[in-house]
Amino acid sequence: MASEKKDQVVLVTSDEETYTVERKVAERSNLIKSMIEDLPGQSDEPIPLPNVSSSVLTKVLEYCDHHKNEPLPAADSNDADDARRKASEIGEWDAKFIQVDQEMLFEIILAANYLDIKPLLDVGCKTVANMIKGKTPEEIRKLFNIVNDFTPEEEEQIRKENEWAEDR
Amino acid sequence: MPPAASGSVWREPTKADKPPKDADLQTAWLFLQDGVEHIMTRLHLGMSYQYYILLYTAIYDYCTVPSRGGISFNQKGGASLQGADLYKKLNQFLTEHCKQMRDEGEKLNDLELLKYYARQWDRYTTGASYVHKLFNYLNKHWVKREKDEGRKDVYTVYTLALVAWKRNFFRYIQKDTNEVSRLTQAVLRQIELQRNGESIDNGLLKKVIESYVALGIDDADAQRQNLDVYNECFQKYFIQATDKYYAAESAAFVTANSVPDYMKKAEDRLQEEGDRINLYLHDSTRRELKEKCELVLIQAHQELLWEEFQSLLDADRESDLARMYGLLMRVPAGLDPLRKKFEDHVKRAGLAAVERVLPAPGAVNEAGKAETLDPKSYIEALLAVHSKFGGIVNGPFRSELGFNASLDRACREFANTNAAAKSSSRSPELLASYADQLLRKNNKDLDPDSLEQALNQAMVIFKFIDDKDVFQKFYQKKLAQRLVNGGSASDDAESSMISKLKEVSGYDYTNKLTRMFSDVNVSRDVTEKFKEKDRRDGQSEDIDFTVMVLGTNFWPLAPQQTDFSIPREIAPLHERFTKFYNDVHSGRKLTWLWHVSKNELRTTYLSQKYIFMTSAYQMAILTQFNENDSLTYRDIQTGTKIVDGFLKPQMALLVKSKVLLLDGDTYDLNLNFKSKKIRIQLNMPVRAEQKAEATEVLQAVDEDRKFVYQATIVRLMKARKHQALIQEVTATISTKFTPKVSDIKKAIDYLIDKEYLERGSEKDTYNYLA
Repeated sequence: MASEKKDQVVLVTSDEETYTVERKVAERSNLIKSMIEDLPGQSDEPIPLPNVSSSVLTKVLEYCDHHKNEPLPAADSNDADDARRKASEIGEWDAKFIQVDQEMLFEIILAANYLDIKPLLDVGCKTVANMIKGKTPEEIRKLFNIVNDFTPEEEEQIRKENEWAEDR
Repeated sequence: MPPAASGSVWREPTKADKPPKDADLQTAWLFLQDGVEHIMTRLHLGMSYQYYILLYTAIYDYCTVPSRGGISFNQKGGASLQGADLYKKLNQFLTEHCKQMRDEGEKLNDLELLKYYARQWDRYTTGASYVHKLFNYLNKHWVKREKDEGRKDVYTVYTLALVAWKRNFFRYIQKDTNEVSRLTQAVLRQIELQRNGESIDNGLLKKVIESYVALGIDDADAQRQNLDVYNECFQKYFIQATDKYYAAESAAFVTANSVPDYMKKAEDRLQEEGDRINLYLHDSTRRELKEKCELVLIQAHQELLWEEFQSLLDADRESDLARMYGLLMRVPAGLDPLRKKFEDHVKRAGLAAVERVLPAPGAVNEAGKAETLDPKSYIEALLAVHSKFGGIVNGPFRSELGFNASLDRACREFANTNAAAKSSSRSPELLASYADQLLRKNNKDLDPDSLEQALNQAMVIFKFIDDKDVFQKFYQKKLAQRLVNGGSASDDAESSMISKLKEVSGYDYTNKLTRMFSDVNVSRDVTEKFKEKDRRDGQSEDIDFTVMVLGTNFWPLAPQQTDFSIPREIAPLHERFTKFYNDVHSGRKLTWLWHVSKNELRTTYLSQKYIFMTSAYQMAILTQFNENDSLTYRDIQTGTKIVDGFLKPQMALLVKSKVLLLDGDTYDLNLNFKSKKIRIQLNMPVRAEQKAEATEVLQAVDEDRKFVYQATIVRLMKARKHQALIQEVTATISTKFTPKVSDIKKAIDYLIDKEYLERGSEKDTYNYLA
């Protein structure tokens, strides 16, 4: 198997851009990792990623390359996962990395979800959470450009239900 | 779609075949089903990254497209993720897939069924693990959410596949839950063939049995191993079959073969069954299988083995004994009867060995006297038996504690009471004589290492001796003789033996022996210092004098009951020494043990000069003749003051050696004495003294024992009940000798007389009067 474990893989984005990257960079994606493991003998074949555009993949690969030497989170280790997810701090490099416009932020989150890159998904979600923190519903709607589709009655209902959580 | 149908031409779908992102369930599933089927049945044809990603993306898209209300709010206020219908479709597919295998399996039996089942299991589980990863998105989101909300009947995809296999395929070849399934029957049939000596495919069985383990799905935690299916569907029947097989086999075997052959057979079978676990069974079966085999193969036939034991012992069949031990040690109480029989056997062997070294009744030695038992042959006979059976305990019986105890009990018994030792004091006496033989100067056969070895062997017997106080007394007596007569072979060997005794019986036991030993060393000093003083004082005596000053309490020596007139030839020396000693150690009383002193006399009255080696009595007698050549018995007695009992035998010795000539009532100095030797030994032991020795020692032991009884009682006496007192006294003393209850009672009475104890106000109590 050692000879088949080639060091490079070719990724193809939705807009037909081709990226040749180190295998261990690509394997930050759980999707790519388990596929390569399950389908040995086709390592020359390019891997199409129809749900990821080149602009996003560039960004994602930057993240993967930076973290390529870290241990991968074990497939089903929920305990360690939870601990990491619960910590709201974001690492210094990650914080800088995720300073992108809102649209790119959501694209990164979607790509991380699709490619199954858990630590990146967590960085994205924590960033969004930090954006929401301390804002009123109105401010949030404005921030994310959301149209209020509640009727006043519905809104009152929800407010009552969540009264207990409000700061007083 | 049948799993085996892989011959048809397969074209891999391309990007163009992929349903759109917002495809409905029908469209999406049609595309996915083709992919799942490919993985499950045609994976050997290969699969491209492109196709894999297309399938993965199709699942992702279906689960994430929001148009079907995917991300909305349900009544509970949480997000409802899409995937339920996809999950349902997948389950339907797997169910159908398994039903087809069921139909195929219905037609097969025995080995064919096993082969089919194993082949399908391999294919199915491999495929399922791929599909599991392909459906990762479903697993991680929809399935996880459902499980988090407490649904027990939703599984991650791999487990779902196992559940489908179990419900739709496995259960049907399983028939009724209370009846052994065709599949298990087939497995058991293979095992039976293997037990009959045929060769079977172990890998096949391993695979099938692994499926039993995998199918135990724990509802609470899918990761946890659950052996319910393995236990219920397989292990139970396997153990039953094992029981039946070996019950029949062993019953037939023992009627046609010898017990040693059966033991070999049983040993092989136990080994085989242990190996079977490693070959293809789950490790959890090990204990139950082992217990069952031990029950059927060993315990069921243990009486037979027990009966055979004696003849194996008689014939020294060590490897069979080892095998029997190895088998019976596995079953509860299996060794107990062997330990008992072994003990009896060793005891008989010990008693027989003593009979063999006993002199034949009426046998006489060269001198025409009745042959006596040689301590060396006696002790060596005991040792030979101990060593032989010690070898069996350490070899075939693997130094097991119980057999060691049996050996010790047996040896203790025959070492204390046997044909040569009718009383319990005889063995200690013989052992002390044996030690004396070893340690005496005239023992030339042994180099220091062999001597040390022999002393260690003597200690083996010592440990078995009950009346250690008797040994102590005899040993002390012999040691005193060796030391006083300078008859010890080596100081090192002497002190080595004393420290061995100390190790076993403690400081008190050897205290006197140690003191005797040091008295001798101190005496060398005393002699040296005395001579030095003489030189300083300008004394030039013609007498070379060596003295031993021995502590009265430590030595088994007492002056003889007779007067003794110190001859004038040595009187000045005697006086000087007494003065010297009293000056150095004032207050000590010196008692002269004339009967153990030795003297050398130079003759001046004969043409040839001779040296007579004499006792002090003889010296006193002969110095009387310095003034007279002829003396009557009365003259001599007046001159020496020695009582008849000691004087007469000494006179007889001198006459016998022709130094004196007896003429009627008169003793004449033999002026024509002639001898080939210059040094002549006149100091012969007197027979009556030899005989008395053993009796004297035993009397001393009895005296000491009285004190032991009394001392022990006093020590234990703090208002204890009579019965408790007797028990504790017995327990405390039995390390020294075997106490008698009647003696303890006498000792109690004696202590009451002496007012150490008084009877308490309550019945059977005593008070200690300090």
